[in-house]
Amino acid sequence: MKDKLILLLVLVLGLCSCQKGETEYDDSPQANLNALWTIIDQQYCFLDYKEKELGISWADIYIKYSARLNPKMSRTQLFEVLCQMLGELKDGHVNISTSLDLGRNWSWKDDYPQNLDECLRNEYLQTDYNLASGLKYRILPDNIAYVVYESFQDAIGEGNLDDMFLSLRMCNGMILDIRNNGGGNLDNVEKLASHFTNEKVLVGYRSHKTGTGHNDFSPLEAEYISPSKGVRWQKPCIVLTNRSCYSATNTFVRDMKEMPQVIIMGDYTGGGSGLPFSSELPIGWSVRFSASPSFDAQKQQIEFGIAPDIPCSLDTEKAKQGIDSMIEEARKKINHI
Amino acid sequence: MIKRIILLSNLCLFALMAVAQDYSTLINGKEKKSETISVLRPLQVSTLFGVGFSNQLDTYLSPMEYSGFQLSFLASRERMTRWADGNISFQSLLQGVFSHTKNPAHTATAWGGRLAYDAGWHYHWQLSDRLSLKAGGLVGADLGFLYIARNSNNPAQGRFGVDISASAGGKYRFKIKKLPVQINYQADLPVIGCMFSPQFGQSYYDISQGSRDHNVCFSHPGNALCFRQLLTFDLEFKRASLRFGYMGDIRQSHVNSIRMHDINHSFMIGYVRYLKVLKRNER
Repeated sequence: MKDKLILLLVLVLGLCSCQKGETEYDDSPQANLNALWTIIDQQYCFLDYKEKELGISWADIYIKYSARLNPKMSRTQLFEVLCQMLGELKDGHVNISTSLDLGRNWSWKDDYPQNLDECLRNEYLQTDYNLASGLKYRILPDNIAYVVYESFQDAIGEGNLDDMFLSLRMCNGMILDIRNNGGGNLDNVEKLASHFTNEKVLVGYRSHKTGTGHNDFSPLEAEYISPSKGVRWQKPCIVLTNRSCYSATNTFVRDMKEMPQVIIMGDYTGGGSGLPFSSELPIGWSVRFSASPSFDAQKQQIEFGIAPDIPCSLDTEKAKQGIDSMIEEARKKINHI
Repeated sequence: MIKRIILLSNLCLFALMAVAQDYSTLINGKEKKSETISVLRPLQVSTLFGVGFSNQLDTYLSPMEYSGFQLSFLASRERMTRWADGNISFQSLLQGVFSHTKNPAHTATAWGGRLAYDAGWHYHWQLSDRLSLKAGGLVGADLGFLYIARNSNNPAQGRFGVDISASAGGKYRFKIKKLPVQINYQADLPVIGCMFSPQFGQSYYDISQGSRDHNVCFSHPGNALCFRQLLTFDLEFKRASLRFGYMGDIRQSHVNSIRMHDINHSFMIGYVRYLKVLKRNER
């Protein structure tokens, strides 16, 4: 009897021990590079597009950076190599996060003029501006509303927006300054944009990966902005942009481009049209990458930015005199509409 | 697919109604004067609490396996019915699991939770005074999540599924000195069902915006091989039994190019109470 019981126990426990884990843990530099390369190869949504636009080959990149590894290299050296490898993609949504540093490629803004002087902008706002959640606004002397929104991370409520639009209703037009707005929550994008249309507007398309292949994507799905049930802006609006308008802000500019009475003025946006996902490496570092792309209403890529309707840049000479030439240009445009 | 979901939902509902009906007739040994008792059927109620090891993988969140501890409970009720000469039992199982796991480098933490309910019938064979075997099927529903705080737009994975399982087990009674002891074993293997899963690169934001892409998947042992087994020992005392043992619970799936596993090994301990179900015939 005793033997039978032991046999039963062994059988039952044996069944369980068959299933423990799927992969062996390997923390070597080569294993980390392999893991990173595979994440991008299977999940990054712009690989074919970047290979074409930047003239790179992801397969060649593996060979190039594998050659830079050695088993005895330090964590800092490994971090550098992996960051350089990801830097080839020129994507602000692609990062490696460690406790020491954030691996990044910010060439989308660092390689271009900033076209913004924060001190100058504050002079236009002065100190007694209205502040509704993240929206700063005041009425300029020529009866033009000047609104600054610095981050889509700052929550905005329908009540905030209604009150702001109501208090600005007598103005001749609006300058919506989103320069240096690096993105945030897409819900805020939709919420704000919905106050600039009276009809449902097709603003773009989105897709997502359906498998590990470079071209495994779902069919494009149309994205619309429906008009807000609150107060809607019916007068001219000029959106001021620069290269630091990234990610959710890039999406906002895409949406606003389709709105009636809205003009995009300034520099190209920075881009960043992929919704980022996270993953990680055996060494424990977090990896962020673009996972699902969005497109404009003409089904074109906006990963590298959106062109303004009226190009314009900050005149540094005028800036020294306390004049923001981009704001002035926008005021002139509204006054001539 | 919708028809399948409705069918499975109806089966779950039917099972729940059967349990509710049982509870309404439970008098716990006390007879009311205005009633007659026509059938006496034993009801076994057990409540177990467990602590153990958990190993989790969900490639939607991370390619790394997370491991750590888990706490669980398993509440089960089993009673003999009057069907097939009293050889068929009805069983219901409510299982809850909470896990706290870390990645291999110990730089990230995952929190997980799962609640599963199964109900079904077993046919019993009394092979001897001591040994009985049973086999049957269960209908179940499963709801859970896995959450990794540091992820950006894919911080969590939700789980929902319904399935039909094949189930088998047995009991063996013996004595250690004068103390009655019973060994129980039961294994459940889901054979058919359906489950929710996001598409490979589909965010929950997209799903919330109305995007649908094969999010309800047909599950079977080929793409979702799962297995739960419970081996327990009952030390029988006068009013209740002390039950302790091992529970192995393996949940796996490979749908929409997303691989998932949740492997749990637990030491369980709790108690068993034996009650009597009386059929109430009011005058």
